[in-house]
Amino acid sequence: MKLSDRFRKGEFVITSEVAPMKGCVRNGAIPGFLEEARKVAPQVHAVNVTDNQSALMRLGSLAASVYLQRDGIEAIYQITCRDRNRIALQSDLLSACSLGIENVLCLTGDHIKLGDHQQAKTVFDIDSVQLLAIANGLNKGHDMVGNRLSAPTDLCLGAVANPNFEPLDLQLIKMEKKAKAGAEFFQTQAVYDPKIFESFVKKARDFGVPLQYGIVIIKSPEMAKYVNDHVSGIKVPDSLIKEIDSVPTQERKEKAIEITVRLIKEIGPMVQGVHFMPVGWSDVIPEIISRINV
Amino acid sequence: MIGTKKKPIQEVLEALEGYQKVGIVGCDGCGKTCATGGSEQVEEMAKMLKERGKRVVFDLAPNTTCNLNNIRSFFTGLEGAIKKSEALLVLGCGGAVQVVRQLTEEYGYTIPVKSGLDTVGHMDTIIPGEFLLEQCRECGQCVLNSTGGICPVTKCAKSLLNGPCGGSQDGKCEVDSNRNCAWILIYERMKAIGEVGKLNDYLGPKDHSKAARPRTLYVKTGEVL
Repeated sequence: MKLSDRFRKGEFVITSEVAPMKGCVRNGAIPGFLEEARKVAPQVHAVNVTDNQSALMRLGSLAASVYLQRDGIEAIYQITCRDRNRIALQSDLLSACSLGIENVLCLTGDHIKLGDHQQAKTVFDIDSVQLLAIANGLNKGHDMVGNRLSAPTDLCLGAVANPNFEPLDLQLIKMEKKAKAGAEFFQTQAVYDPKIFESFVKKARDFGVPLQYGIVIIKSPEMAKYVNDHVSGIKVPDSLIKEIDSVPTQERKEKAIEITVRLIKEIGPMVQGVHFMPVGWSDVIPEIISRINV
Repeated sequence: MIGTKKKPIQEVLEALEGYQKVGIVGCDGCGKTCATGGSEQVEEMAKMLKERGKRVVFDLAPNTTCNLNNIRSFFTGLEGAIKKSEALLVLGCGGAVQVVRQLTEEYGYTIPVKSGLDTVGHMDTIIPGEFLLEQCRECGQCVLNSTGGICPVTKCAKSLLNGPCGGSQDGKCEVDSNRNCAWILIYERMKAIGEVGKLNDYLGPKDHSKAARPRTLYVKTGEVL
């Protein structure tokens, strides 16, 4: 089911995220990303499948998304502009629709310099705003140069925004362009300061596109520091690092649940949904959802 | 200006292996600015090659080695020296190497023309003698009028045309924390010149056919094909 239909019905849309592995799915083995997705599937509406995240070469997000769909889990197929030119991107969107994908998240993509193939040629033929506009055109039955499709795609188009970005107005300019280009929902980058999120929402709600609050589960002080040092666009405040550090390792999951629930209770009323990025801790998501009472 | 950097000396020596008598052609234009191919570097290269047992037949740095007319007149009278050389080593950009090669062909010499430098882009001098920056990728479809005179195609690591990615941190690029996010620079500049409203305009995908290489510029008609 398309996320846009859920938003239209006024549902509080909950999604989580899995990352395909470096390797193939073979000999009937259940891949890790599917196991992760199964842990959250009963409680979430859909699961994002990342596209070679952090520019690390992995199993393709389309193949992994199809695995989820076949398992009865609604996939949100992530597609980035980093590795494919406009021909490949359009072709992949046609493929996605043909394989039963209904939800797509259009992103720029992390730069190759952050990944494990730093000598690769960056593509970035088009940007995420243009990708949304092109995908919108495919939904209307034509490719980006105006050729008619034998059958149009039928994809719900999602986009991302980063409320942490400074200057915020510049981020909002791009966000508005994405809304105008056809974005039907936004998932935000992880935010840990409700005040930052509040000032973002006050302006972003004018675009009339549903917003999902994004949150990366903070697993340990080391992980939080790693995120601060290596993941661009996220800032975990020192107070949260101290908080997760205040409990012994065996109590970290409970503490992570507590922190996440607290943030969602504060930020949830400002948005139309929440997007979890559990980074391997999908098992905590059902408990978080049960405690936020949606 | 065309930016160049010196090839590792081992690579230069490998390229000249088997050629004893070498003529060195520098470039007192861009090569001088980059301190890679000016008269001074040509002298250094001549000294180094001599130390390694090569015979340097001539060493010169024309003013702009990429300009065929310019080096044609510069080389007039040097035909004998070129003829004596078993190979030429050019300390200039990739264009200069090929223009020199073309000139040797005009003279009817089939000697190899080797490159001593790597070409690293269209550069602008920010601090003379210290710091040069790539600011133009020669895309053939300039967007500077829409972006406050700051090129996102070149200065944004992802060449984004409609605003920044989400990766900027403290105003810096996700690829290099020493570099300012091009889109923040554009935004600040557009605010300063009173054109920030133009950033709301959607810029469509670039026409990469305008950058399909190799391009030819017909000066008389202004056509680029």
